[in-house]
Amino acid sequence: MIEIPDLVLGCLAAGTLAAFALGGALLRLRRRGARQAGEIASLTAALDTERRELDLGRAELADARTERARTAAAVAAEVVHLARQRVPAAATASAHPHVKVPGPLGAAIDGTPLGDALDEAQAAVLTAMAQERKRVDAAARAGMRGATRDIQAGLYRLQDVLRGLQRQYDDPELAEVLFALDHENEQSLRRAQVTAVVCGAWVGLAREESHLVEAVTGGQARLVGYHRVKVHHHLEAGTALVSHAVEPVAIIVAELLDNALRHSAPDTDVVVNLERVPHGVAVTVDDYGVGMAADERARAQRMVGGTEPILLSELGDPPRMGLAAIGQLTRRFDLSVDLSSPSPYGGVRAVLLIRNHLLSHIDPAEQPPAAATPRPTRAAVQIPEQRTAHARGAAPAEPAAGARTLTHETGAPVGAAAHAPAGHDAHDGREDAPGAPAPSAGHDADRAGDDLGPAADAGPRQDIDDRDLRDDRDLRDAPAPRDARAAVDAESVSSAPGDASEGDALPQRRRRNRSTDAGGAPSAPAAPARTPEEAAAALGALQAGTAAARSEADTEGSDPR
Amino acid sequence: MTARRTGRPLVPAYLSTGGVATPRRGSLERLSVLAATDQPVPQGLPAAQHALLDVLGDGSLTVVESAALLRLPVSAIRVLAAELTDRGLVTSRPPVPAAEPPDPDLLKRVADGLRALKH
Repeated sequence: MIEIPDLVLGCLAAGTLAAFALGGALLRLRRRGARQAGEIASLTAALDTERRELDLGRAELADARTERARTAAAVAAEVVHLARQRVPAAATASAHPHVKVPGPLGAAIDGTPLGDALDEAQAAVLTAMAQERKRVDAAARAGMRGATRDIQAGLYRLQDVLRGLQRQYDDPELAEVLFALDHENEQSLRRAQVTAVVCGAWVGLAREESHLVEAVTGGQARLVGYHRVKVHHHLEAGTALVSHAVEPVAIIVAELLDNALRHSAPDTDVVVNLERVPHGVAVTVDDYGVGMAADERARAQRMVGGTEPILLSELGDPPRMGLAAIGQLTRRFDLSVDLSSPSPYGGVRAVLLIRNHLLSHIDPAEQPPAAATPRPTRAAVQIPEQRTAHARGAAPAEPAAGARTLTHETGAPVGAAAHAPAGHDAHDGREDAPGAPAPSAGHDADRAGDDLGPAADAGPRQDIDDRDLRDDRDLRDAPAPRDARAAVDAESVSSAPGDASEGDALPQRRRRNRSTDAGGAPSAPAAPARTPEEAAAALGALQAGTAAARSEADTEGSDPR
Repeated sequence: MTARRTGRPLVPAYLSTGGVATPRRGSLERLSVLAATDQPVPQGLPAAQHALLDVLGDGSLTVVESAALLRLPVSAIRVLAAELTDRGLVTSRPPVPAAEPPDPDLLKRVADGLRALKH
């Protein structure tokens, strides 16, 4: 049996043991707790640090986000600026160079990839625009070209009708109306033609080789103020243009004159000078107007140079076609127009240079220039030379007339010298034809010719003239001329070409004259003025011409041949 | 002689008179005969008037012949001739009436006489 104290003792021991065990565990626990608390504290500190860092990062992130948003807004603004300001301005500037094209909004963008990209976009828009504009312009030109070509053809037909009417009806009032209509028609024709040329068309009319002065005068006639144009013709007679250059020169002169007339006071003249220069012929147009500013002048010079392509949309409204047409023509026909030098009169001086390869020569005796063209001034200066070496060249406007030597209806003697200004017609050996008394036979025959009818005048009279001339030569060869004045005239006229200084350059004919003068009677039969065949040919031609003229007058312009 | 030109004339007719077609004197007809006088030609004479003077040259021509030679309408020649007449450079004469046909009897007698000469 177990006693109670043992039991108690045992219990106590067990209790103590347990208490020890528990105490140890408690101690361990407490130690662990303290360790954990330390760990927790350190962890909390670390956590705090992390949290702080996190807050910092979050703030940075927010900053970065706002920054990015700002950049995006700036780019957007640049693009909007490009679309709203820069591109339109650049588009305008392509047509009007004085318009300023704004740069990017922020100066910092220049040189960055964004800046380059924006510039590239702008350039691409401009290129596309230019191409589109060219395409549209070409279409517009094609349309205009077709329309103006038809108009031009119609106006030429109208011109034919008007000129036919002018020949047919000579009632003064009607004729004046017809003249006015013809002038109006010429102006319309000029407009249509210039428009067509600007639109790239051909000049629309093939002409034959013509006198240069005719082309200039023809251009003058196309203008409203043609009265104010004064043409001075300083070229040798017969200076002509090759056929394909005639109409272009007429157009260019008309446009230059139109500019000159438009920009000068209505009471001033516009002066045109035709002068020979080493490379060809210069047609100078001077006006007394206000002139052009330097930039205007430069622009005009660029246009007439024809180096830049022409766009209808750049010609303004109403379009200023003149200079553009000149540019087209100078480029196509190798002409050159210079507007770059100011006129000494303060206005504008335009110089059209026609090079030698576009020039030719027409015998003015065979094909005289139109009656209204100014006479060359040079012929008057060079009478002695012209009479012989350039005899044909010296007779610009004398289709039928010989030297004005002989009688008129009055029968009064007329000295050749008194009437020998420019066009002393010297061909066929008549250069020494002096004034002569009207031989009675010639005079009577003259009358007879008149009696046959006025239309027969030209033929017989010419015949008589020739006879008179020969009579006259005989007269001179005879020792005692019947008329003292005739003798004087004979001396003065025949001695003028006989100058020794010019002897070498002279043709055969001159020597014959001199021998006639010197040799007297014996040489006269040996050197007849013309052979019978020549005389027959000349008279035949004369008759044919008279018949042609008469038939033209009768049939109103139809060509007999 | 003058070569005929077939092309369209470059210089219109109105330029020769400055657009005027009403002559200052109305007496000229198509067949009136014009003749130049021996007055010296003044300086500065309009080119067309000068050309008409040259055509008249040493004789006389009718208005219509001058017109054909100068390739101008008759109305323009009238104006030019009237101005030249005013300047005393040209005289004009009314048209010559058409000649009467020769008397056949006279012709026959002439022919007979000629035949008689021949035999």
